Amino acid sequence: MSRTLHFQYDTLVEFSTPVREHAFVLRCVPPSFPGQEILDVTLDLDPSVPYARQRDGFGNLLQIGRANQPHDHFRYSVRGTARVDFTRRRPEACLPVFRFPSDYTQPSAEMTDWLGTLSLPPGGRERAWALSEAVRDRITYAPGETGVNTTAAQAFAAGCGVCQDFAHIYLSLSRQAGLPARYVSGLPEGEGASHAWCEVWLDGVWIGIDPTRGLRADEGYLRFGIGRDFGDCPMERGVFLGHTDQRQTVFMRVSQQ
Amino acid sequence: MNSEQLNDLIRHEQQINQQLARYGVKFGIYKNGVFQERLFPFDAFPRVIEAQEWEHLQRGLVQRVTALNRFLADIYGEKRIIADGVVPEDFVYRSPGYLPQCEGITPPKGIYSHISGIDLVKGKDGVWYVLEDNLRIPSGASYPLIARELCRRCSPDTFRHNHIVDNRNYGQLLRRTMDSVNTGGINVVFTPGRYNAAYFEHSYLAEQAGAVLAESGDLYVHDSALYYRSTHGDQRVGAIYRRVSDEYMDPLCFEPESLIGIPNLMAAYRAGNVAVLNAFGNGVADDKGIYYFVPKMIRYYLDEEPILSNAPTYLPMYPEDQAYILDNLDTLVIKDVAEAGGYGVVFGSKLTREQLLAMRETILAQPRRFIAQEVIDFQDLPILDNGTVVDRKADLRAFVLSGAEETVAWPSGLTRFSRNPDSFIVNSSQGGGFKDTWILSR
Repeated sequence: MSRTLHFQYDTLVEFSTPVREHAFVLRCVPPSFPGQEILDVTLDLDPSVPYARQRDGFGNLLQIGRANQPHDHFRYSVRGTARVDFTRRRPEACLPVFRFPSDYTQPSAEMTDWLGTLSLPPGGRERAWALSEAVRDRITYAPGETGVNTTAAQAFAAGCGVCQDFAHIYLSLSRQAGLPARYVSGLPEGEGASHAWCEVWLDGVWIGIDPTRGLRADEGYLRFGIGRDFGDCPMERGVFLGHTDQRQTVFMRVSQQ
Repeated sequence: MNSEQLNDLIRHEQQINQQLARYGVKFGIYKNGVFQERLFPFDAFPRVIEAQEWEHLQRGLVQRVTALNRFLADIYGEKRIIADGVVPEDFVYRSPGYLPQCEGITPPKGIYSHISGIDLVKGKDGVWYVLEDNLRIPSGASYPLIARELCRRCSPDTFRHNHIVDNRNYGQLLRRTMDSVNTGGINVVFTPGRYNAAYFEHSYLAEQAGAVLAESGDLYVHDSALYYRSTHGDQRVGAIYRRVSDEYMDPLCFEPESLIGIPNLMAAYRAGNVAVLNAFGNGVADDKGIYYFVPKMIRYYLDEEPILSNAPTYLPMYPEDQAYILDNLDTLVIKDVAEAGGYGVVFGSKLTREQLLAMRETILAQPRRFIAQEVIDFQDLPILDNGTVVDRKADLRAFVLSGAEETVAWPSGLTRFSRNPDSFIVNSSQGGGFKDTWILSR
């Protein structure tokens, strides 16, 4: 069954004093993946500067550019249409790094011990879901308690976090439990903020699991970027000259046609 | 060499050291967490390598670096060596030097390690052993280069009467290497700045190679190409010899807090618009754990027997090796794979009973973290210590340059010696000094 999704993603960064020589890398345009076909997409930048399109080692689309002139805001707006059909997910290769710990997902002794106490079922699929449930039982969803640089080990020790932390903890444990897994950043259906979830490699196919919500991440989820962890696929990274405060406003909407 | 010429050099030693100090020939070390700059003392007795011996060494060095370059291209490409079971995958993918950001990128002309520093020692058995490969930003070529220059000035006769291969072509070799991978534009040597301990080397090599010395504010990326801001307009950069580690080179791809990098350099590199010397991600090939596999790589990629020997090395992750290591812990040297610069090196013979037991536990708990090697009893070289001649341990860092057309070993090298009579560690981070290295032409 396929679904056609309209998506819109607007981010506005406002600077209290103008900045210049602002170099950026965006991963704000969703690529076509097996099971996700991008039918049309436009990107608008403000200030309107030219940008280059590249792909990184994970296959993510990059939009790379530089705004030299002083500017007091930076906005990127993406809109487009995607056809998502999980029956079209085909076996894919798994990069070996998705089997090993990464910067954000290095397990602590506490996590390894805890994993040892779980009696996970032997089958891959069952194991993957049991782990998701165990993480949801153990970790409380609590915005504001963790930050963008919080590691899986730190969030696990705190016992709480947001979607990024749930994903990191899940990835750390899943890889340790012998299930290759990767981080996904993107948008779920609805309105609000961007989201992060995981994909687990089962029988050669990447299966989406959302450990924050305890749901299968399927046709309602639009994938923007994949990686070992958050560090590999943030939607935006930038550096600029200027001493300033930043305020970010995000609007996103994904709706079915 | 007759004694008169040697005396000539010894007489000038102090003068040479004063000149070196004036040029700012220094290196920096961290001691107890504090950064210190030290002069790098020069010793007048040269290390002499016979023509035939060098012929053997240089063939082995070229072979080794050729295989290491093939390994890097394979790891960031097809990964055949892992698929064929020659190198275990976790040695590659757990290595902090492996950068998935480099997957799928082919550097200009396919060269990864353009400037390689191979550390060797000569055993008492007369055999040269490779102790370490340095494929990221090996430093030190400028020291023998400038020392030779100063020695020639002080004692021209010595160089007239002995058949010493001229080593002053390093700048040309470097330039040829950069030109051969240059994608169109100027050559740049990229330094973190004049407060960096190796700043002398950066500026000297730039001058010798006819390249522009640049800091982060001088360079920017526009439209996936690298530019240098010069007084007469901005110039495209075709090759950048960077003397900054991978993680600080591009805040938008690696360490986001880096202030000394060039934002979006990776975009220019990915697009094939600039050659980066050495390539990003080389750390996966000069890891102390990967060292064990270099002779296997030579057989695998080149179908040749290794010309140079590794020090006998054991990996605790292999059960037979582990048993041997645990039985012989008191005679082996244990190296922590994650540490560099002579740190994390422990001689079993120096440990107390309790320390040996503790080490045993650590190895059992983290077998992937360590390698163990036989202690190579390497040859002493004479040095002058406050007017008396004493023997000290010394190693040799050989420099190998790989360009698009050829890989060559520079007929010279950095001979470092330890100041401490009992020490086998000659790394400059641990004190000690250096000597000129003479390769004889016949």
